[in-house]
Amino acid sequence: MTRTRPLEVAGMLAAAGALCLAPSYLERGTLNDLWSVALAVVLASSWNLLGGLAGQVSIGYSAFLGIGAYTTVLLAPNGWSPVLTLPLGALLASVFSVLIGFPTFRLRGPYFTIATIGVGEAVRVVASGVSFTGGASGLRMPAGSFDFESNFRAMTLLAVAVVWISALVSRSAFGSALAAVKQDIDAAEALGVNSTRLKVAVHALSAALVGLAGGLFAINFQYVSPGSVFDFRLSLTIVLMPIVGGVGTVAGPVLGAILFGWLQLKLLSTPALLDSSLFIYGALLIAVMLFEPKGLLGLVKRLLARRPRRIHVDA
Amino acid sequence: MPDPVLSVRALTKRFGGLVAVKGVSFDVAPGEIFGVIGPNGAGKTTLFSCLSGSQRPTSGSVHLRGERLDGLPVWAVAHRGLVCTHQIVRPFREMTVTENVAIGARFGRGHRRGADERDRIREILARTGLAARALSLAGTLTLGELKRLEIARALATEPDVLCLDEVMGGLNPAEINATMGLVRELREAGLTILIIEHHVHAVVGLSDRILVLNFGERIAEGRPEEALRDPAVVAAYFGDAAEEAAL
Repeated sequence: MTRTRPLEVAGMLAAAGALCLAPSYLERGTLNDLWSVALAVVLASSWNLLGGLAGQVSIGYSAFLGIGAYTTVLLAPNGWSPVLTLPLGALLASVFSVLIGFPTFRLRGPYFTIATIGVGEAVRVVASGVSFTGGASGLRMPAGSFDFESNFRAMTLLAVAVVWISALVSRSAFGSALAAVKQDIDAAEALGVNSTRLKVAVHALSAALVGLAGGLFAINFQYVSPGSVFDFRLSLTIVLMPIVGGVGTVAGPVLGAILFGWLQLKLLSTPALLDSSLFIYGALLIAVMLFEPKGLLGLVKRLLARRPRRIHVDA
Repeated sequence: MPDPVLSVRALTKRFGGLVAVKGVSFDVAPGEIFGVIGPNGAGKTTLFSCLSGSQRPTSGSVHLRGERLDGLPVWAVAHRGLVCTHQIVRPFREMTVTENVAIGARFGRGHRRGADERDRIREILARTGLAARALSLAGTLTLGELKRLEIARALATEPDVLCLDEVMGGLNPAEINATMGLVRELREAGLTILIIEHHVHAVVGLSDRILVLNFGERIAEGRPEEALRDPAVVAAYFGDAAEEAAL
């Protein structure tokens, strides 16, 4: 069973406290940047639950962000409060993940990945084509629905919560079964692990977290369109962050998200580089694959481990 | 025979034009050690795959204590109490030996948790001689240890029927003797054991009865010494003496 660790609890609470109070001691520009990084952390760490812990690489995660965002933007004009629309968006994203999970989880490895690309694209095409989503031109949030400070607190708290959840999951019995599925799905099933149910469950959890972020995304930008939330490049970025940071670990996706969040901000402020973001991400990915498959976290660990490796001799 | 724990009836498995298992039927009594032998490609491993649920038989049935198993997914068969080890070992290499066994203890039939789970794992590691390697990564074990880890993980799911697929392949004589001892102990503890083995000596020494397969068909069944003397078995293993004499 998962045990709580006092130091970890203290660390998470300290991070949450510092972020909650940040609006009183940081400038608005810095807060904006922090918001973006927090969004990246939520996306990367949530994806890592399925992609990293269970080894199921999905390139369709923008669908969940979009479902969360559209739930809020569609209901807000009717006077629905974010307190209702955010959980509802999370629930809908979760339900959608289950619906696509049952057919796609029958596929293994790269075939699953390719199917998720198809699902992501199909959702974008449908969202652009039907009228209630505002089609390709998108939808606006009603005026007066934006309060930066509360949105900032919600997004940063969500980021802390997602990291904590991924720490708890990764050392729980549930997490051990996910690791077994990742390492050898047939051996895991032979030992009684119902891998489909497990994958559907972790997919639903991770989709719900991304759906929550989607609602906050809609409120923060006050505008949602298929091009902004159902973008294939967004799905790709969500995959790249944990892989560059260190897939399957708790800290890796956070590192990757911080790096990507920072890069994104740099690129956005440098017009000449604006269109080369994917090129730079691709180069980073190749560098990681070639030199440090365990990502930045692996690199950090290697640099810290100056001592020769200890050899464990078990009595 | 008392009520059989496992009943297999007219089991057939086709892969396109190849019939890997052809209408095989047999019963296994509770607490029996039942050997399955046959030349390479005789269909032994396919037979086990059909029992465990990793292959769906083309026709025929498998019953465990009267409950139908064929058609169920592998994990559900494990929950009913039948589990197979893998001929080619499949450890979770990035987990420790303890963590490997824990998967079976947590998600198998016993659904163990907490202290109960730890006691169970310790007992299994001691019984399979892996206690000293409890905290080693599975990727660092020797072949002999990996074969024992396969048995340990399968035991952790708390089966009634344990199917061992070549657990002595590649082992040295001392390790084979140890594994034979372990199999006998498990039977003493009440398990029913099906065993596929290339070492005829080991199967004959262990089994109460053996089933001999050739080209997917049952060619003999019975007490080991008798089944091995069966002319069809001799022909399958050594070629047809009469045929050779004529050449």
